[in-house]
Amino acid sequence: MTVLNRRTLIKIGGAAAALPLLGGAAFAQEKLKVAFVLIGTPDDNGWNFGHDTGRKYMLDKIGADKVETTVVTNVAEGPDSERVFRELAQQGHKLIYATSFGFGDYVHKVAKQFPDVKFEWATGNATAANVSTYNAKFHEGRAVVGTIAGMMTKTNTIAYIGSFPIPEVRMGINAYAIAARKVNPEVKIKVVYVDSWFDPAKEADAARALIDQGVDVITQHTDGPAALQVAEERGIVGGFGQGADMSAFAPKAHLTAIIDNWGPHYVKSVQSVLDGTWAEGSVWDGISSGEVEIGKYNEKIPADVVAAAEKVKNDISAGTLHPFAGPIKDNAGTERVAAGDIIDDGEFWAVDWYAEGVEA
Amino acid sequence: MLYATPVAAVLITMVLGALIFTLLGYDGLGAVREIFFTPLTNPYKWQDLAVKASPLVIIAVGLAVSYRANVWNIGAEGQYIVGAVAGTGVALLTYDMTGPWILPLMLLAGIAGGAAYAAIPAFLRTQFKVNEILTTLMLTYVSVQLLNYLVFGPWKSPTSMGQPQTVLFSADQSLPYVIPGTIVQLGTPIAILVAILVWFVMSRSVFGFQVRVVGASPAAARYGGFSANRTVWLALLVSGGLAGLAGILEAAGPFGRLVPQFPTNYGFTAIIVAFLGRLNPLGALLAGIILAITFVGGEVAQTTIALPFAAVGIFQAMMLFLLLAGDVLVRYRIRRVANEPARASA
Repeated sequence: MTVLNRRTLIKIGGAAAALPLLGGAAFAQEKLKVAFVLIGTPDDNGWNFGHDTGRKYMLDKIGADKVETTVVTNVAEGPDSERVFRELAQQGHKLIYATSFGFGDYVHKVAKQFPDVKFEWATGNATAANVSTYNAKFHEGRAVVGTIAGMMTKTNTIAYIGSFPIPEVRMGINAYAIAARKVNPEVKIKVVYVDSWFDPAKEADAARALIDQGVDVITQHTDGPAALQVAEERGIVGGFGQGADMSAFAPKAHLTAIIDNWGPHYVKSVQSVLDGTWAEGSVWDGISSGEVEIGKYNEKIPADVVAAAEKVKNDISAGTLHPFAGPIKDNAGTERVAAGDIIDDGEFWAVDWYAEGVEA
Repeated sequence: MLYATPVAAVLITMVLGALIFTLLGYDGLGAVREIFFTPLTNPYKWQDLAVKASPLVIIAVGLAVSYRANVWNIGAEGQYIVGAVAGTGVALLTYDMTGPWILPLMLLAGIAGGAAYAAIPAFLRTQFKVNEILTTLMLTYVSVQLLNYLVFGPWKSPTSMGQPQTVLFSADQSLPYVIPGTIVQLGTPIAILVAILVWFVMSRSVFGFQVRVVGASPAAARYGGFSANRTVWLALLVSGGLAGLAGILEAAGPFGRLVPQFPTNYGFTAIIVAFLGRLNPLGALLAGIILAITFVGGEVAQTTIALPFAAVGIFQAMMLFLLLAGDVLVRYRIRRVANEPARASA
């Protein structure tokens, strides 16, 4: 039943007005509607900013004549997200990006109801006929910044502000610690969790507390630049941008950044939907394919440190260096990875220990 | 007049909202249309309203009882979390078992958990005269830590690849769907039942009378032989128990497991619902639906007219503010006094 009200009248009017166009428009390709569901807002200058930058890059490359995008921000990881996914699918979006782990259960639920809509779940761990996952090997970037931190620290105490003790964060800590201790066996790594992906007040408090304990290089695994701003204010050696270049917030303290470059993946996956070649799969790229980039080096970093960092980056890219190559001991002294062995992608997610030198 | 203010508050919110967002450069009328009307006119959205309103209604009904008794339970969010934790505890203990008795047992555990958590402020208030506003609020933060400890630690699913979450509840531990083909689960009929039941108790029983008398006039209540302490206990146990029930219904329903993201502020939003519903259980039912409309509509507005997420919060806050302001203006008469002769002219 159609209720006649102003809205439907406008719709009918619009449809009538569009009728003469029908002949010509039938040949033009309909625009692909693509949606991005974010856990925060793009102005966090970190994780969500990275995805939104990727979206703009994709729009630019594919062209606004072929694709249109919808961004939904601040979606809670829970049943609320299920509603958002269903809403987007009902509105005719054919490709939906769920950009946080906690969306997974609901992506899979909604995907079953809309078999012709493709879903991509960032950092996810389960696929289905119309659900793919994509992720980036951020820990490769951590190995680069860990090298810089290990060489630059004067107090031999560096820190990692984590969000939650989940494998992805834990492996970021381990990659950072292993790389730092490779260039400086004296270094200690203090870890603080703030129980949030974005809580500038807590991140800043954590940074202050760490600096008071003698930390002079901080990196963070949260979505914003709050810790860097504290580092700038307190004049310590520095910190690193996470997810995006954050040098604007801390020109002196910002040593370099691990930049999530989602753009190329978005271009590839949108194009595959346009071409009809999209397939269930799981993408996990890193430095070598450009998904993880290292930003500009601050000019205060000595040349030998830059060279060492570049070497780590290039070796990871070439495949001659693996961030988790053995021998690796945990912080209780137990050998976890034997010499000549590495933690491969399958074992990665099961890691529940910290590398030597980590105080968590 | 008292029942006209909520309606007026909602209407003025729409007008002001349209105005503000037009001035900010958005489609203000479109915002009001998408937030307040699309969820009602689009039948696809009705199931979402039911899912979103159910926990709000159950918690708000409990809060209505508590606030009527002049007991200010601000920590329904904490009782909601502990209820979910208690019910989940039962679910994990019975994970390998089957039977129709499991779900009712989980719900009872949820109620008991929420009530037990509210018993702490009740004890402190009746024994040591500790202000329950502070204790209930602060215990909310404690409950979040408890939840995190459990899902990051002992309750973490062995198959979650290190992610903090419990196992997915089994079929016998999950709420059944009551309307086939939709996402409406048993929580919705329970919410309606709770509202009607509590309305009946509050308006037709001695208990309800006692709560209202103690709340309205403690001296008269004492004269009438009603124990103030007993009322404090009952108010907190009822509101805590209902918040706990909402918690386990949410965990065993839409969530399907316990995760760190479980707290979604239903306990705090329900305070708005309780007041918008005039502290009347049936009013809370209507008010819960209105708040659910703003949530669901807020997402529609984001996707269709790119209204920022914060807009929903602005609309909700405006509603509560206008309601409270309306109450003041309804109860008091404004009189001009400037022309009266000054008295202290000595």
